[in-house]
Amino acid sequence: MPLPAKAFQLWLHVVAPTASTADICRISGIKRTTLAQQLVRGKVAETTLVSISRALGRSPLEDLSSFDSYAGLAGQPQPPTAAELVSQIATMDLLRAVISRSSPAYGGYGDDGSSLTPALGPAPHATSVRNWVDAIDDGELRHRVSAATGVAPQNYSAQLTANRLSPELAVATARAAGVGFTGGLVATGLLTETEAGWAPEAKQAALDALSDGELTALAGERLQSLGRTLRRQEQEHEQTKKIWENLG
Amino acid sequence: MMAILEWVTLAVCCAALLLRVPDALRGRNRTVFGILLLATLCSLLAVSELYAIIDGALGGWGATSLILRFLVFATVLLVGLRVTRGLGAASGYKLISGGTGRWALGLSCLAVTVTFFLVHVYGTPAGLKAASAGGGWNSALAPLYAAAGRTYPAYVSLILMPPLLAALRTRLPHLVRAGALLVLLGASFAAMSLPASLAPSSWADAQHFVNYAAVLGYVAGLAVFWFSGLIANPSGNAKATLSNNPD
Repeated sequence: MPLPAKAFQLWLHVVAPTASTADICRISGIKRTTLAQQLVRGKVAETTLVSISRALGRSPLEDLSSFDSYAGLAGQPQPPTAAELVSQIATMDLLRAVISRSSPAYGGYGDDGSSLTPALGPAPHATSVRNWVDAIDDGELRHRVSAATGVAPQNYSAQLTANRLSPELAVATARAAGVGFTGGLVATGLLTETEAGWAPEAKQAALDALSDGELTALAGERLQSLGRTLRRQEQEHEQTKKIWENLG
Repeated sequence: MMAILEWVTLAVCCAALLLRVPDALRGRNRTVFGILLLATLCSLLAVSELYAIIDGALGGWGATSLILRFLVFATVLLVGLRVTRGLGAASGYKLISGGTGRWALGLSCLAVTVTFFLVHVYGTPAGLKAASAGGGWNSALAPLYAAAGRTYPAYVSLILMPPLLAALRTRLPHLVRAGALLVLLGASFAAMSLPASLAPSSWADAQHFVNYAAVLGYVAGLAVFWFSGLIANPSGNAKATLSNNPD
């Protein structure tokens, strides 16, 4: 659920008592009409709060937890699990790690995390939301989230496919899986890894801790699902082209 | 009310036809232009006032009505072939272009011609409206003639419905699916018009509505297909590349 406008304005008054709405919009890069609309509707998007908090040099995570609906985020955040960290590594970075571990004959260095391997890209990546949910799913997670939030499973799946998840659902998912709340907020791109309190080398360390077998199997799964997506897109494109050729 | 529907249908067909003129001049998809041209001719003949004028010029014995039926058949044949091919419905295409389809077309033409002359021999020569108003043979034959004229469109429309439904369920661009939905509506109305033509004459308004809704659905659907192709980004395939790493 987005933040109530009243509570948001109270918060804004506390953190920036002298700033006008125009100032806030200018420093945070939010369009004035967007903010005005959200205030009129009484619901302010979490991204708005995060942008403003970020622009003021504050901690978005702490500011978010000052609202009732995100009170669970307060306090020392539970660190992400190794599986969550690995889920936030982009598919291409995983493949690069596979090659990097291979023998020099195949262009690798034959070791873990060589200094010559380029650094991992920042989260979120193109499939970070689905990969995050898959990483914490025990098989019943989707049902539990759906039961807890009342969101229909097919709507939940549609959000995952679109690589989206509302912050509310991200927190509900983390709660249902019993993991830290920051994983979902990072996977959906609401917070950066640093803002979520993740250690800078955490992802790389989790990747290095994977055995060759684990890494290869994971990279293979990611490649397969990427291949399915690409094939589906290519088929749809062919279908569309045929329709336009014959009926357009 | 009916007059408005007749003119609106004609206007929509003309608009769709004019939109396609530049493409047709460039030689792109002339068949679709032909479909729209035939549809415009059909809706022209379907306007009561224009029908009376043209029929008068052709001798005033109702031949225009028969010509209209054959024009409708030709339009439906072309639409059926194009839509099944565009949607990749190989079995549907065969059902229209193959032996079954030819039999359906031939029998429909035969049925229309036979009922037309039966209505004429036993009816008044002043056209069908008078025929359906008369008693005896006329009132029995006129609905049969009307039904015969809707057999082939209903046959083709029924074939088109499954592939159109399948297209609606895909994740194709929204406008393409909107076009498929409109054509599907047109096909449903065209299929309904066969049983509707046998309904009692007190339902004349509903019968007319079904007929014109079918034409409007088909023509509007074709226009939306055309428009969706027009506004499509030529590099719409950019999504499906590895470099972009889509989800």
